[in-house]
Amino acid sequence: MPDLLNIEDLHLEFHTYDGVVKVLAGVNLRMRRGDVLGLVGETGCGKSMTALSVPKLIPMPPGRITAGRVSFAGEDILSKSESAMEAFRARHLGMIFQDPVTNLNPLFTIREQLVDAVLYQRAQGQAVPGRWRGFMPSARQLRRDAQARAIELMRLTGIPDGDKRIHDYPHQFSGGMRQRVLIAMALAGDPDLLIADEPTTALDVTIQAQILRLIRSLVKQLGLTVLLITHNLGVVARSCERVAVMYAGRVIEEAPVRELFKNPKHPYTRGLIAAVPQKDISRGGLEGIPGSIPNLIDPPSGCRFHPRCPHVMAACSGTAPPTVPVGQQHSAACYLYTEGA
Amino acid sequence: MSALLEVHNLRKFFPVRGGMFNRVLSDFRAVDDVSFALKAGKTLGLVGESGSGKTTIGKCILRLLEPTAGQIRYDGADITHLKQRELRRLRSEMQMIYQAPAASLNGRMTVGQIIGEPLWIHERLKGDAARDRVLELMHVVGLKEEHYYRYPHEFSGGQQQRIGIARALAVQPRLIVLDEPTSALDVSVQAQILNLLQELQDQFELTYLFISHDLGVVRYMCDDVALLYLGKIVEVAATEVIFEAPKHPYTQALISAIPEPDPDFQREEIIIRGDLAHSFPAGGCPFAPRCHADTLAECETVPPPLLEIERRHQVACHLHPAPPGKELP
Repeated sequence: MPDLLNIEDLHLEFHTYDGVVKVLAGVNLRMRRGDVLGLVGETGCGKSMTALSVPKLIPMPPGRITAGRVSFAGEDILSKSESAMEAFRARHLGMIFQDPVTNLNPLFTIREQLVDAVLYQRAQGQAVPGRWRGFMPSARQLRRDAQARAIELMRLTGIPDGDKRIHDYPHQFSGGMRQRVLIAMALAGDPDLLIADEPTTALDVTIQAQILRLIRSLVKQLGLTVLLITHNLGVVARSCERVAVMYAGRVIEEAPVRELFKNPKHPYTRGLIAAVPQKDISRGGLEGIPGSIPNLIDPPSGCRFHPRCPHVMAACSGTAPPTVPVGQQHSAACYLYTEGA
Repeated sequence: MSALLEVHNLRKFFPVRGGMFNRVLSDFRAVDDVSFALKAGKTLGLVGESGSGKTTIGKCILRLLEPTAGQIRYDGADITHLKQRELRRLRSEMQMIYQAPAASLNGRMTVGQIIGEPLWIHERLKGDAARDRVLELMHVVGLKEEHYYRYPHEFSGGQQQRIGIARALAVQPRLIVLDEPTSALDVSVQAQILNLLQELQDQFELTYLFISHDLGVVRYMCDDVALLYLGKIVEVAATEVIFEAPKHPYTQALISAIPEPDPDFQREEIIIRGDLAHSFPAGGCPFAPRCHADTLAECETVPPPLLEIERRHQVACHLHPAPPGKELP
C-alpha cells in the first residue's frame, strides 16, 4: 500500500529583513492510512510549518520551498495549482487549530458556518457533469441536507442538543465546545487526513482530556488518519501511536510511542523527556536542557542540536547526521548511532 | 513556626455593569471566602483552571487589587488596609513574577535599568553601587555581564523570565508571588527556570505562593497545594496527599486529566462533564453541575464548608464530612 502522506527532504525558507530563516532543513515524514502520528517539538522547531506544507497554506512569498517533495496518496502536491489545491483540501484534508476563538467568525451562527463548510466540501468533492445539472437537487434541498449533516456532525463530536445549538453564535459556546465545532467542520468532507495543530493548548486540562478522548474515539469510529502537532509530551503519550520529534527544522527521531518514551535515543529527545516534571521526581531532580533554541537565520552547522548536546563530538559540527535505524521502526539522526563516526 | 502569610475569608467581587446608566447589575465573585496560611520558607501552590480566581488572589495579597472583604496578615500584621505610603515599605517584602515575561518588562529600558529601578525606589541606590548590585543579581539568576546594556526584546522567553526574577529579587523580598512563571516557556527552558527558582528559594530563604494551572509543575515545586474552583478553595493538603489520595471529586478529575508523558501509565480516567460554568445553583456546591460522584441532595442547596477531615487536609465536599468534634469554624 502506498503511503498516504510522504514528505521527503523538505527545505523551506522565509525571506525576512533580517535575513533568510531556514525554517525546515530536510524534513522526512511518512504516514500510512490509519496512522495517528504525533509531531512534537518546542517553539519554532518547524512542526506547524511541516504540517502546513501539506495543504500548502504557507504564504509564499515570504516562504519559499527550495527542495523536497510532498506527495499525498502518490500525487505530487507541490506542483498543484491553487485552484486544484482548493478541491484537494476540500476532498482530502481537515484541519483544526490551536485557538478555537479566532477560528470561528463571531458574526455568523454556527449553522451558517458549519452548513457552509459542508456545502463547500460537497461542491468541491463531486463535480457534476453538465448534462446532469438539471437533475440536481434545488439549492434549498442542498441546504436542508447540509444542515442535517451539520447536526449529525455536531452529534458525532459530542455537542449536546445540536439541533438547537446550531442556531447559536460562537460566543455562546465555551472554548471546549468551540473546538468541537471546529472538529465537526474539519470532518465535514470525510477527510483522509486530519491535521490537528496544538488542538488542546488553549484549553484547561479537564477540557483537554475531553477533546483528546473525542479525537481518540473519532479515530476508532471513522478510521481517521491524524497528524497531531503538539509541544506536550503527555498529550502524545495519551493519544498517538507513533511520534516524530523535531528540532530546529529537522525530524531528529521517530518511533512508536512506547519505544520513544522507554528507549529514547537522540540526546534531545532524552533531554525533552527529562525536562517534563513527572511523578516520582523529587525536588531538584528535574533536568533542563542548557541553552535555548537556535536562531534559524544563522543555525549551527552540522547537527543543529550540537551546541546544547551533552554528547557532542567532532563530527557533530561538520555535516548534518543522517537518519539511521536504531531499532524496530525506530530511527534517529545522531552521530552516536552511525557507524564509524 | 507561625505563618508568614495568612489569608482570612478573602473576597473579591467585581461589579458587572450594564443596563441604563451603566448600573451595577450583579457581582462577579472572582474570589469567594478564601482562607489559607503559608509558612516561611515553604511553597504553596494555588491551582485551578482559567477563571478560578488564582491570579486575583495573588494580586489581592500584594494589594495590587483591593479586596472586597477579608483580612490579609503578613508576618503577624494586618496589611489589608495599609495606606499607600506604608504599602511601599511592604513592597520590598513581597514581590511578584508574572506570566508573560515580555509584557512585564519595559521595552524601552535596558536590563540594567529594569533590575536597577527597584534599588533606586526602595534604597536610593544609584551609580556604581547600584551597578554592582545589579551585576550580582544578574549573576545569581544566570545572566551574563554583557547583557547589562541590552534590551528585553533581544532575549529569549527564558532569559526574559530571568530578568523578571532578578528584578523581583532586587529588593530582597521574603515572599514572592509567582503567577504562572513558566507557562509561556518551552519545557526544556521551563525546567531551567523551575530549578533556578528552587535554588533561589534555598539560597535566600524565600517563601513562594506558586500560581499555576499545570499540575505537573505544581507537584514538582510545591510543599502544599490549594485547589480552587470558581473562586472557592475545594481542597488543601500536602502535595503528596493531593496527588496520591485526593478526596474532592474535582481534584480527582483534575489529577486524572494530567497527561503523563508515559504511555504505560494506567489510571482510571475521570472525564468530567461540561466546563467551568459561571452560573451555578445559588447556595449549592459550585462543582455540583459537573460532579461525577454520586451527589447528595444538599449538594444543590447547601454550600459545602471547608472542613479538616484529616490532619492538614481540608476538603469542601458534602461527601467528606469532618470527623465528629473536629469542625473548623
